[in-house]
Amino acid sequence: MEAGILTIGALAPILVVLAFILPLLGIFIKRKIFFHAYAVVVTALIAAATTYNLIVVWREGPQLYAFGGWPPPLGISYEVDALGAVLGALTAWVMLFIAIYSRWYMDKETGIPYYYTLLLGLEAGLIGCIYTGDVFNLFVMLEVLSISAYGLVGFHRGRAEAVEAAVKYGIIGAAATTVYFIALVFIYGSYGTLNMADLAIKARVMAVATPFSGGYYGNIAVAAALAVALSLWVFTYKSALFPNHFWLPDAHPEAPTPVSAALSGLVVNIGAYAVMRFLYTMFGSNSVLTVAKYPFRDIILWALLILGIVSGLVGALMMIVQEDIKRLLAYSTVSHIGLVFMGLSLGFSTVPLAATQEALTASLYHLINHSVGKALLFMAAGIFIGIAGTRKLDGLAGSGRKAPLATAAFFIGFLQLMGLPPLGGFFSKFLLYSAFMEAGMPIVAVLVVIISAISVLGYAKAMYSVWFRPSAKEFENVTGITLPTAVVLLLAVACVGLGIAAPYLTSALSTTIANSLMSKGVLSYIQAFLKTINYLSPP
Amino acid sequence: MIDVNAFLFSVLVFSLIMNLGISLYGIFWRPSLVKKIIALTILGDTANVLAIVVGYRAWIAPNRPPIPPVLTTWKPTATDLSKFSSLAVDPLPQALVLTAVVIGLAVTVFLVFLTIQVYRLHGTTDVRKIAKLKG
Repeated sequence: MEAGILTIGALAPILVVLAFILPLLGIFIKRKIFFHAYAVVVTALIAAATTYNLIVVWREGPQLYAFGGWPPPLGISYEVDALGAVLGALTAWVMLFIAIYSRWYMDKETGIPYYYTLLLGLEAGLIGCIYTGDVFNLFVMLEVLSISAYGLVGFHRGRAEAVEAAVKYGIIGAAATTVYFIALVFIYGSYGTLNMADLAIKARVMAVATPFSGGYYGNIAVAAALAVALSLWVFTYKSALFPNHFWLPDAHPEAPTPVSAALSGLVVNIGAYAVMRFLYTMFGSNSVLTVAKYPFRDIILWALLILGIVSGLVGALMMIVQEDIKRLLAYSTVSHIGLVFMGLSLGFSTVPLAATQEALTASLYHLINHSVGKALLFMAAGIFIGIAGTRKLDGLAGSGRKAPLATAAFFIGFLQLMGLPPLGGFFSKFLLYSAFMEAGMPIVAVLVVIISAISVLGYAKAMYSVWFRPSAKEFENVTGITLPTAVVLLLAVACVGLGIAAPYLTSALSTTIANSLMSKGVLSYIQAFLKTINYLSPP
Repeated sequence: MIDVNAFLFSVLVFSLIMNLGISLYGIFWRPSLVKKIIALTILGDTANVLAIVVGYRAWIAPNRPPIPPVLTTWKPTATDLSKFSSLAVDPLPQALVLTAVVIGLAVTVFLVFLTIQVYRLHGTTDVRKIAKLKG
């Protein structure tokens, strides 16, 4: 077994070690530049490793790493298919930009080692959640991710609002992950396994002999329904889908700006990714959830579709009335995650498979566009907040004129999320629109357009404030913003690239979805699992 | 003659459901942050007890309890293994609970520290008053 497999298994544990050694190093090393360099080097290495994994998975299909040499499902295994590889590489690259940006943003702050501990811990949780092939390990990684996120939201611990937002996010978040644990107990009690590939086999009642996982207990359809219902609440909470979005507009703005970029751009992806894993890989269209007397999977997908629409509308409408630029961006996240959930819920049994594949592709494409665009917007907003010294749109008026390059990037980010043709956001929204048309749901397709149209008002307000609106006071000329400007410009180039490469990207992402979530992809996911069992278990 | 086992089992299920209800009520509707955290630990413990119940193995015969999941023969044959699996307890739920307990401890400690910080900054742990103070 080649090195590709090692970079899958070792990534999350190594990241955890590298993150939690930092407070110890902080005792001996006082120079801030060391920690900045450390974080950039570590995130760059992770970005290289995830890109390597993406190439390996793209060429050779799903890769599995079994920890400790235990044949799955006995031990924990990490399994990466095309979807996980794409999202892992996206996470690592955006995180690299965030780490570089932190060099500028966090330089005035104290407690740098702790900040990077939490940031790298967050990345470990993100990579672990995406790469894991075990639902219980997903719980553990979700907790790693969540605790880092709570800590980062409350990082400015002297600020009353930050601590309040962190405690609000933390208490409900801890309750949510415990509910996910209860869902896992139902899965284990009924299926006798926690491995995702094994669950995919067992939920489809396939006649495959897996030597270690045993039989079923109780009513598997009811257990699956209970587990999916409980865990979906958790995932929609983590990705801030309406009505579970209440924590996000408080938590994301209160975090330090690079962290807002990570939370809004990357952490919300995890919920959408986990829903895809649960409803397509494990309990897919031919599983017990559909075969049962009641079409439970269809009901869930309909509910997600409706919540996605409501979330898109609520986010877009709330954006218009915001006075705080970071809150505005946070509501935009709610709106976009609604669009993503609309796409991934188009998997009912009545919808043709081609439309499902197109909608999932649109969903994944939009996740990528949103991650890059939202990270860019938060980081650019951080520059203007630095100039004006306030987050209020009134106070920011005209601040963009002191940093024209950053403003250019800021505009490209907004146009990306708005969906202007040469940029990526347009193509993913258009793909979503045409998928709904193909599925015979023109009303929902029109709603995609309406959500985008409403959100334009909010974006226009922010763009107007930063550049066109005359400033109330004279801002001092700023120096030392070369680094953050370079970062946001690079991300702006990425936005343009995501749009220009649209024809190629659409087909590549469509292949990604076909190779991971459609029936062929699930089969290859299962085959990689069976191959590893044969390889590891003695004859 | 009452079936004691069935009676105790129904008491267990009833108390699990009650605990779940009480803890969710506490987390979502009690205004005090401290009580929310207490309710959170109750929720965590309920989930853990549920996992332990799932891993419970009934006695094989009235005087034969299940054995611990430790294989004592050095080179087991197939008959040894099948005998072992018919007697041993499933260790996995307990491993899961162990992990969940440790994670729960970390989360609780973190939330308690956050609550102390909230108290220092706001002078109260009542979420209604905190929301009002913010204006």
